[in-house]
Amino acid sequence: MTAMIADNLPVLVIIVPLFIGIVLPVFARRLRLVEGMVVLAEALGLVGAGFLAYMVVTRKGADWIYQVGGWPAPWGIELTANSLAVFFLAVVMVVSLPIALFTIGNLRQEVGGNMRTARFYTLFLLLVGSLAGMALTNDLFNTYVLVEVATLSCCGLVSSHGTPRAAEAAFNYLILATLASSLVVSGIGFIYVITGHLNMGFASQGLEQIWQAKPHAVWIAISFVLVGFGLKSAIFPLHIWLPDAHSSAPSPASAVLSGLAVKGYMICLLKFLYVVFGPDLMKEFSVDRILVLAGMTAIICGSVMALPQNNLKRRLAFSTVAQVGYIYLGFGLMDINGLAGALFYLASHAAIKSALFLSAGAMISATGKKKISELAGIGRKMPLTASVFTAASLGLIGIPLFSGFIGKWYLIAGSLDSGDFLPTIIIIAGSVLCAAYLFPVIRVAWFESPQQAEQVNAEQQAEQPDSAAQEGSRGIALQDEEMHSGQQVQQTAVYQNVQENTPPGNQVKDPGTAQKLALILLTAVIFILGIMPGPFIALAKRAAAELLMLR
Amino acid sequence: MRDFILKRIAAVILPFVCVYGFYVIFHGHISPGGSFAGGIIVGLSYIAFSTIYGIEKGRAKIPDKVLTWTESFGTLWYGLMGLVGIFKGVPFLANKLAGVDLGLPGALFSGGIIFYIGLGVGIRVASTMITIFFTLMEDQS
Repeated sequence: MTAMIADNLPVLVIIVPLFIGIVLPVFARRLRLVEGMVVLAEALGLVGAGFLAYMVVTRKGADWIYQVGGWPAPWGIELTANSLAVFFLAVVMVVSLPIALFTIGNLRQEVGGNMRTARFYTLFLLLVGSLAGMALTNDLFNTYVLVEVATLSCCGLVSSHGTPRAAEAAFNYLILATLASSLVVSGIGFIYVITGHLNMGFASQGLEQIWQAKPHAVWIAISFVLVGFGLKSAIFPLHIWLPDAHSSAPSPASAVLSGLAVKGYMICLLKFLYVVFGPDLMKEFSVDRILVLAGMTAIICGSVMALPQNNLKRRLAFSTVAQVGYIYLGFGLMDINGLAGALFYLASHAAIKSALFLSAGAMISATGKKKISELAGIGRKMPLTASVFTAASLGLIGIPLFSGFIGKWYLIAGSLDSGDFLPTIIIIAGSVLCAAYLFPVIRVAWFESPQQAEQVNAEQQAEQPDSAAQEGSRGIALQDEEMHSGQQVQQTAVYQNVQENTPPGNQVKDPGTAQKLALILLTAVIFILGIMPGPFIALAKRAAAELLMLR
Repeated sequence: MRDFILKRIAAVILPFVCVYGFYVIFHGHISPGGSFAGGIIVGLSYIAFSTIYGIEKGRAKIPDKVLTWTESFGTLWYGLMGLVGIFKGVPFLANKLAGVDLGLPGALFSGGIIFYIGLGVGIRVASTMITIFFTLMEDQS
């Protein structure tokens, strides 16, 4: 039995979340059972990923290739468990388990209704399963299918609030993501036409032999893949959907979207560029320079755009745009340190941004306030949440002892190795800008005088009856207006209830046990990655060496 | 919906449409057909029924709960059939390697697990089509 599971681990890690996720709507009446099943799926995935990583790290010789259905390579679908795959798989499982824990018990009031909650979990587990698949698959078309599954799940997660704003953001995202998908599938089509293979290894061999005869076709394929995955992973000029989508989703969804979904597309791009096209072809078509340039632009522009945002979740979303830039920059450096740094930064940003979004979500749902300026003195009332937010912010800025520092260190080492000094300056400037947009939040949360905040709260409470009456009348007006779409009215009403039921300022306290556990776990990940990065950076370096073919 | 002719003709034709859909589902692997196409035909027969006889009657024929169950477990069925390969000691979804026959052209039950996988896919597609239809009708009314 154990041997049976161990032999089939690459496929089990993918299908366990997928199939557990799919049966969840059946049990929607018993929400406890649904939550238990989600945590079980995540735990099984984590154990599987850990065991798979152990087996791959201790394995000697060639990659572990799993043939789905028993069909050999040019025809069948292959799953490759190499260092890159297990690295990303571990990131996905380690980060998504705390997010799943965070949703226990408090998702229903945010999403509204048992069935909607169960469907949210279905989408969540589909996303996790497809991300695991993206890490492992070695087949071009299979990658596209998994990208589609992930994209549709993301759209569902963004719209799960049910408010008009969320629906608008989800629709925007759906249109742009579909455009990106069609670009990706056209790119895959070009590769298939040129080489006649959909397996990454065979396609790579074919391209190596034939690209000089058909450089333009290869060029078109590369640009389609680059723009398609660039749009999906929100690299700077193509990021316009991200701030709306990530700030209007429920906070666990924002965490998984910003922390993991975007990274999955980046891993796909990495596999396309390094495994299919190969480092030589990338240099020939100067894809590496494009990546570095795009990354540097994203770091500066994303950070500058984050500065004026007063909505906390929007500021974090723009920060994601900037952090995506670091990873692209590392991808483009074509250097073992730079690439390992990018992979490590990817892992660290996944944990940090999830922690930031979850703690921000906890603060917002406890106080009902979305603006940064309204969160004054929150550190006294929600010490744990604010501490997690502070620790994650310091990690994102890149203070030593936190995981962001190690990633940035290796990125700087890589950019110095590659001989360009501009990326180094940009990375440091990006850290300074990151401090500039995150320190004000920390200052407001801890050092803004709580008395002043209480005064403001008292004033607001005095005003509240008036405003509540207004809200009520507006709600009725809204209902009259939208009588023709019954469901929407219901959802709007649910949302308003959620906002009205939030406790007033003096009852604000830390969230429940499961939420605390989730936040502590993510903080522990940030600290462990920052204090003992040894094994993780070694795995990242191994993955980078495999990608650069420096075995 | 007072159209007598339409209702009578539908009453005669729709059972055959539904059976034909299952025929297409079952013949997906070794003869012309396909479980996705067949599932759509099955779903279509119910959609036609509920457009002709009214949504309430259509909903009464297949309650939401049944739809949720078939939708979820049709897909789970696929996964369980895939696990057959693993229990036989070969990769996921393997058919011939698992000692199950690969199938003869034209012989319906000779395809090993593919037959059962097709059944799961067909049921899932049919119930998804019906769910989409009901959801759209709900939004309209």
